[in-house]
Amino acid sequence: MEEKPSKVSLKSSDRQGSDEESVHSDTRDLWTTTTLSLAQLNMPLSEVCEGFDEEGRNISKTRGWHSPGRGSLDEGYKASHKPEELDEHALVELELHRGTSMEINLGEKDTASQIEAEKSSSMSSLNIAKHMPHRAYWAEQQSRLPLPLMELMENEALEILTKALRSYQLGIGRDHFLTKELQRYIEGLKKRRSKRLYVN
Amino acid sequence: MRLKQGSFLWYLYLDKIYCLLSVRNVKALAEYFHILDVHGKNTLNDVLFYHFLHHVTDLKKAQINIVFDMLDWNAVGEIGFEKFYMLVCMLLAHQNHLEGQFMYRHSRPVFDLLDLKGDLRIGAKNFEMYRFLFNIQKQELKDLFHDFDITGDNRLNYQEFKLYTIIYIDKLQKRQKTEEKEKGERKRSLYSKCHIKQIQAERVSWKKMESESTEREH
Repeated sequence: MEEKPSKVSLKSSDRQGSDEESVHSDTRDLWTTTTLSLAQLNMPLSEVCEGFDEEGRNISKTRGWHSPGRGSLDEGYKASHKPEELDEHALVELELHRGTSMEINLGEKDTASQIEAEKSSSMSSLNIAKHMPHRAYWAEQQSRLPLPLMELMENEALEILTKALRSYQLGIGRDHFLTKELQRYIEGLKKRRSKRLYVN
Repeated sequence: MRLKQGSFLWYLYLDKIYCLLSVRNVKALAEYFHILDVHGKNTLNDVLFYHFLHHVTDLKKAQINIVFDMLDWNAVGEIGFEKFYMLVCMLLAHQNHLEGQFMYRHSRPVFDLLDLKGDLRIGAKNFEMYRFLFNIQKQELKDLFHDFDITGDNRLNYQEFKLYTIIYIDKLQKRQKTEEKEKGERKRSLYSKCHIKQIQAERVSWKKMESESTEREH
């Protein structure tokens, strides 16, 4: 199927049947909020993620950050890795990388606006360097789906799979390995759901 | 064919021009598919597929089986994520009345789906079986074959099908334009009627005031 990048607006007014949207707007609002907050960082995802491996561990040197109002976030961050000073060299590399990416993006624009953009990008990169833990948080947020959406998906999948289990039992019997596999899977899904509800 | 309100798919929506999901929506859909993939094969078998479609739409069992046979190109009894994604796009296009746009934008994949025998032709019978997916009425289908079967073999090749989608979308756009024009005219006429009534009411009140003042003078 042909796929072109398109600006898909998350405006609920574009959808037909808009009367029911206000009732079900929570999930979308969360989705939108995540997108908007990421846009404010003005930072491509590749740069945000380059300092972290798949498990979210910090593989580059970072500056320590402490804020009185963010206890739990700091604790979680400290638990996963030790805060370290950001190298001047790493900072310079970051700025250079941002500079080149900005050049590519701007293309044919005026040099004056280009210079201004580079200045602002270098400023924002310095600001981002100050708030490294937040980068990890937003990187994680960008790759994760909102929890209400996950809950909706899991609840619906549970209903579907429970009905499928009955069909399996009638069709291939309770002792078939596929039936048992499905049964175990459903139990695992229920446990995960109850854990999440218990935590909440 | 309607999506169940409040189901996960109900919250997804297509880009109205290209009739595709955004990357975020695809990511969410992939996660949903992964949750339904009980046996860890990155596929849904016919039972899981049936229960999924039965849960999220109002399709009947026969229709669901037809859809499964259509998507299961290789006849392996399982549907992978690509086919699943295409199905979801078709469902959302139907839900949002974008069937014509969807067929126009993705004429090749749609043609390949409807070409059950793989002989690069769509027969009238096959199209009849699947017309519920694209909201095509019986008479419309007859007209389609009558107008676009240029080769006269009672089957559509890809060029004929593509021509049909182009003309369909052209007609749709013209119809939308005339509807918008009519709406605008109705609004204007309503406004002018209200305006005339208001003027008449003002005139009446003005006349009353004049007559009262002349009576007082006398």
